[in-house]
Amino acid sequence: MMLRVAGALMLAVMASGCPSKQPDVIRIAVAGPMTGDQSKQGNDLKNGVELAVAEWNDAGGLLGKRIELMVGDDQHDPKQAVAVANKFVNSGVVGVVGHWNSSASIPASEVYHRAEIPMITPASTNPQVTDRGYVNVFRVCGRDDQQGRVAARFVVEKLQAKRVAVLHDKTTYGQGLAGEFTRALDELGGGRVEVVYATGIIQGDKDFRGVLTTMKSKNPDLFFFGGIYPEGGLLIKQAREAGLALPMVSGDGVIDPVFVQIAGGAAEGTYLTFSPDTTKLPGAQAALAKYRQRYGEPGPYSFYAYDAAQVLLEGIKRAGAVNGFAVSQAIHTMTHDGITGRLQFDAKGDLLTTQYVVWVTRGGTFEEYWKPGA
Amino acid sequence: MLLQQLVNGLTLGGVYALIALGYTMVYGILGLLNFAHGEIYMIGAYLGIIFLGLLIQWGVATHSLILALAGAFLLAALYCGAYGFTLERIAYRPLRHSHRLAPLISAIGMSIFLQNYVMLAQGSADKVFPHVLPSGGVMLGQTPVSYLQLFILVTSVALMAGLHFFVKRTKLGKAMRATAQDHRMAGLLGINTNQVISATFIIGSVLAAAAGVMIAMYYGLVNFFIGYMAGIKAFTAAVLGGIGHIGGAMLGGFLLGLMESLGAGYLSSEYKDVFAFLILIVVLIVRPTGLLGERQRERV
Repeated sequence: MMLRVAGALMLAVMASGCPSKQPDVIRIAVAGPMTGDQSKQGNDLKNGVELAVAEWNDAGGLLGKRIELMVGDDQHDPKQAVAVANKFVNSGVVGVVGHWNSSASIPASEVYHRAEIPMITPASTNPQVTDRGYVNVFRVCGRDDQQGRVAARFVVEKLQAKRVAVLHDKTTYGQGLAGEFTRALDELGGGRVEVVYATGIIQGDKDFRGVLTTMKSKNPDLFFFGGIYPEGGLLIKQAREAGLALPMVSGDGVIDPVFVQIAGGAAEGTYLTFSPDTTKLPGAQAALAKYRQRYGEPGPYSFYAYDAAQVLLEGIKRAGAVNGFAVSQAIHTMTHDGITGRLQFDAKGDLLTTQYVVWVTRGGTFEEYWKPGA
Repeated sequence: MLLQQLVNGLTLGGVYALIALGYTMVYGILGLLNFAHGEIYMIGAYLGIIFLGLLIQWGVATHSLILALAGAFLLAALYCGAYGFTLERIAYRPLRHSHRLAPLISAIGMSIFLQNYVMLAQGSADKVFPHVLPSGGVMLGQTPVSYLQLFILVTSVALMAGLHFFVKRTKLGKAMRATAQDHRMAGLLGINTNQVISATFIIGSVLAAAAGVMIAMYYGLVNFFIGYMAGIKAFTAAVLGGIGHIGGAMLGGFLLGLMESLGAGYLSSEYKDVFAFLILIVVLIVRPTGLLGERQRERV
């Protein structure tokens, strides 16, 4: 008898453990580093998507159904990203907004590709994310070959540097961006700009004084860093402590308030490539007010995630079905005027129009500083 | 540049040495590798930030920054001492007379527990040390040495000198050495060995707390995971110097810091951590007793 009860209980547990496909719910997902040192970014993504979903649900849902949001934590770990992606696929998710890190987006996109689930990353800028030509992969941000080029133009045209040091964090994103920057620098500099020192650092490390001391001895005019804000903040802080007065130029991985929190006063005068400031546009104000009310100050990627979710939901609506392939097709042919600009995709899933500008850290916040001329 | 790398290395080495001392003292007395020691250091770093934050909030820092820092150090050290004491009572003492592996497994368990406990209590995001320290420093010829580096070097050397004096000159220190030599004999001669072991854990934890607070100041950033890597590095330092040997831990710490810093500066920063583990492997193969360690006699 006991055994039979136990058996029944186990069956019950197994049954409840399996995700049941509820017919009255459309399930979408958001994934990013929700815990760990980059958790700020993951939660910005989650908040942005949550806001978009709430708006749609308040307006009556999608295809007559409620939208349910699943959250996945990839801990900016490629292995974890694949596990999260498989979980989404098994839960019957229709589309995914994510991931944040290129090193997570690329392996996860393989899983989504096999399951024909559309994935829109709000932040992964490595060229490889879309260059594999998968029809289900999109991004609503720029690419590192564009970003690295703008950074190189800034260094050559505006800062007129002659000697440049290049550091990166050995990740898909960081090393890729540093590579694109160096390539563009060689091309634009025409032999006048020299890369005097180039090396990788370890992501998660806290002590960069050894690298910085060697860099100092090479006497560069500035240094470029391809990586994320925890290391970026420590690099510039420790550089100042080691008596290096040179500016740091970095990319969209560093532009976050936590960077200033870590670096303190040393963050001042750091140049960062990022898209133009869209939160000041009149079209953004309504969503901005709602976001502030629910979550406080938005992060740099909050509205990219919001826009990505809008595109995904709009795509499902146009497809008129929860079929991943049909949704991908719909997204390819649609145009959406989002907060971050006009979103229209090319055959690879990249945006048709993207623009990078240079921001500067001033007074503890970021502001637009330089725009590449035509 | 060489001088600058040396200063970087010595600063780091001082911190490694302080943590390594806790490893080596416990090993010397109990023959136990206390793998939870790195977590005590991590807790020390967190406590330093928390207490300094509190003292700043209470306005102590505006009154005197030195007083606030000293208070944060002292409170973190006391708290960590209590952690070390409790750790031994809960995780090791009940297993004192069991198989050698039992306390080792218990140590690994405590390490995992403490890490997750801090993650749940303090969150998984990085904690930033308050930006209150004066920047700047002194020039050593062409080489700038920051106040912070000076402070860490001086403090770690002072703590080590204090420990040396304590072990060699005080009654409790003598009791510790006696207990390390022969447990049972020391007990027969009227030494309360349990008390001595507790004292060893407390002292080791206080040193680890000092290392933790200093590293929090130095890097400006801590998370719940830093104890793992620091623990392994300090273990390497202790093995390098000869585990169980107090002077060896100090020497090993400084040597490891120097090698890491020079390796990162001159060879490749991408393989910085590899140097530490390469040293561990080479020492274990070539000279398992470490630089200063003696061949251990088999106890009859």
